[in-house]
Amino acid sequence: MSSFFFLLLTGLAYGMVYFMIAAGLTIILGVMNVFNLAHGSFYIIAAYLAFTLVSNEVNFWLALVVAVLCTAALGILMEKFLIKRFYGKTLEQVLLTFGLIYIVSDTAKLIWGPTLKNLAVPAVLNFSIPLGNIAFPAYRLFIVLVGCAIAVLLWYFETRTRAGAIIRAGVDDREMVSALGINVGRVFTYVFAFGAGLAAASGVLGAPLTGIYTGLDTEVLVTSLIVLVIGGLGSWKGSLISALIVGVIQTVGSAWFPSVSMLIIFALMMLILIIRPHGLFGREVL
Amino acid sequence: MKHRVYSRATSVFALLAALILVLAACGGGGSGGNGGGDGGSSPTSNPSSSSGSSGGTSGADGSTESSAQPVGTVKIGVLMPYTGTFAPLTDSLVKGFDLYLEETGGLLGGRKAEVQYLDDEANPQTALRQYRQLVQGSKVDILVGTISSSVQYALRDEVEKDKILLINPNASASDLSWEKKSDYVYRVSYSGWQQGASPAQYLAENVGKTAITLASDYPAGYEVIEAFKAAYEAAGGRVIEQLWPELNTNDFSPQLTQIANAKPDIVFSFLAGSDQFRFTQQYSEFGLKQSIPLTGNNNYADYMFTSTVGEPSAGIIAATQYIPWLDHEVNRKFVENYRNKYGTLPDMFSEQGYVAAMAIDEAIRKADSTKAEDLIPVMKGLVLNAPRGTIVIDPDTHNPVQDFYITENVLQNGSIVTKVIDKMERYAMPAQRPSSN
Repeated sequence: MSSFFFLLLTGLAYGMVYFMIAAGLTIILGVMNVFNLAHGSFYIIAAYLAFTLVSNEVNFWLALVVAVLCTAALGILMEKFLIKRFYGKTLEQVLLTFGLIYIVSDTAKLIWGPTLKNLAVPAVLNFSIPLGNIAFPAYRLFIVLVGCAIAVLLWYFETRTRAGAIIRAGVDDREMVSALGINVGRVFTYVFAFGAGLAAASGVLGAPLTGIYTGLDTEVLVTSLIVLVIGGLGSWKGSLISALIVGVIQTVGSAWFPSVSMLIIFALMMLILIIRPHGLFGREVL
Repeated sequence: MKHRVYSRATSVFALLAALILVLAACGGGGSGGNGGGDGGSSPTSNPSSSSGSSGGTSGADGSTESSAQPVGTVKIGVLMPYTGTFAPLTDSLVKGFDLYLEETGGLLGGRKAEVQYLDDEANPQTALRQYRQLVQGSKVDILVGTISSSVQYALRDEVEKDKILLINPNASASDLSWEKKSDYVYRVSYSGWQQGASPAQYLAENVGKTAITLASDYPAGYEVIEAFKAAYEAAGGRVIEQLWPELNTNDFSPQLTQIANAKPDIVFSFLAGSDQFRFTQQYSEFGLKQSIPLTGNNNYADYMFTSTVGEPSAGIIAATQYIPWLDHEVNRKFVENYRNKYGTLPDMFSEQGYVAAMAIDEAIRKADSTKAEDLIPVMKGLVLNAPRGTIVIDPDTHNPVQDFYITENVLQNGSIVTKVIDKMERYAMPAQRPSSN
């Protein structure tokens, strides 16, 4: 197994993890134009919840479903009482959700303590596939499949469903859509909850890879923002491509140019912003 | 309509980019891994649990910078990172410290201990602010701190000026014993040099003659690997490659690929915090555990690590000064008391906190004083019956001379127990920095 090929493979797999992480933010920011900086907070809430459930002998998959539902419910509450007041007001959204990061992070530390928490890979996926003198963990392949499933879900939702069309229309011309008799507010609430749920799912599925620890929420947020900026707002396609690019660059760069791999990614981001501010696949027409 | 979207998109992206840079600056680990993600630096005071009454009659005790104290009390300032990536270490360390105080009925050196705990956030600026509060505000006699070496350097310079005794329960930078040694700073844990050099001879003679080292790309990592390489090559081994993953690396597959292709006899590793945890898991997941023995510094034998990681840490060979299974009378009692009070086994940080309190207790008792000038001569050469064994604070390096144990992690009834397989007795740092080749 040539090492470059293996690096490429692991880079793509890791890119899928990034896409999964960024998907929730893609929905909320890209579709609804809401700056939810508390995206990483949804991620860790779900991860911690799943950890507690699994520590109490609950099945991993059941814990996943419960954590996602609880976090989505939290998303609904957050949207109804906080976000709703600030549609269109970017700065307020930023400040509000930024403050939420601290609240959630400190509350999590109060409840679960400061030590790193380990969420075990579910037993059914806890094996590796031998490839020459190294092996590839099956769980990472599973994440690749999850990423593909999310991509398909998003594509279908956006282009094929009436709801997708309503959302896209509602973001651009809310009054018109309301005039057609559609409860735009309710639609937005559901989308926000959906984004929170996606973030939650990626939190539970991502936790076995990274562990759950202080600072994970901001790491997740920074990663997601990078993916979004390079890929372009409003386009999950862009998020997918850019996540894969970032994953491969980081993995291959980490092996060949270890001290500058992060530099390359930020340089790429700046380049995109200068040459093509909408990102690779950003929305140019509505 | 189209025009509006364009200009909005641009400003949106500009805002995003600015945000990312700010967050990356706040959230990314700096040298020493300080500030794990909590960007703000407002000073937080931990709910202090000072044992003992506040304010007594002020005695006329001379007018040095350490202010007048009644003979019956000693004021201790504990300055540690309660927030950030080092929070778990602080948690254990302070538990050990408090356990010692409980065992002595709140007394240190026969005086009633009034302890104030403040958070330095592993940030030198915050630490200096809290330091001034402890020294000028609360007028503490003795300071205990800290975890991060970058903060330790800042504190070291201040205690030199203010002539306050500082007990270092963790910060491992070797030059705190060499170029940055101070009469006012004494370490009760171990140095980066000891961490790197201690396993080297055993590994070269018994496990493998070629090694790849893998360490976090920051000063502590360089120190440990430098010491390891010198000792390993002196014992007949050869380091064929050095890998330096960034702090907060999530994915070690590039390094694991390189290791798998190079096929060394062993891998020697020193990684910070959650990196160590993830690397160990991935070492097992990527199938290297079967073919190439993983070895490391004392963190790889530590209970905090093995109890979290579990099975992937089985088989790791390390050298450490403390594990809860050491068969000493002092340790058995320590482990039992710790387990009764906290419901868990102590890890090496717990033991370090315990010994920090012990050191203060012994020093005050021997000097019969809480003043730095009287304590300093006593600290040099101080002998302590620590849970890890008998240790001596080396007068040349202000660092413990102690036994290091070569250990192996063993899976037993579903959990990891660390077993001793060899011993390096009275292992001391050299008095001067060894000349590098």
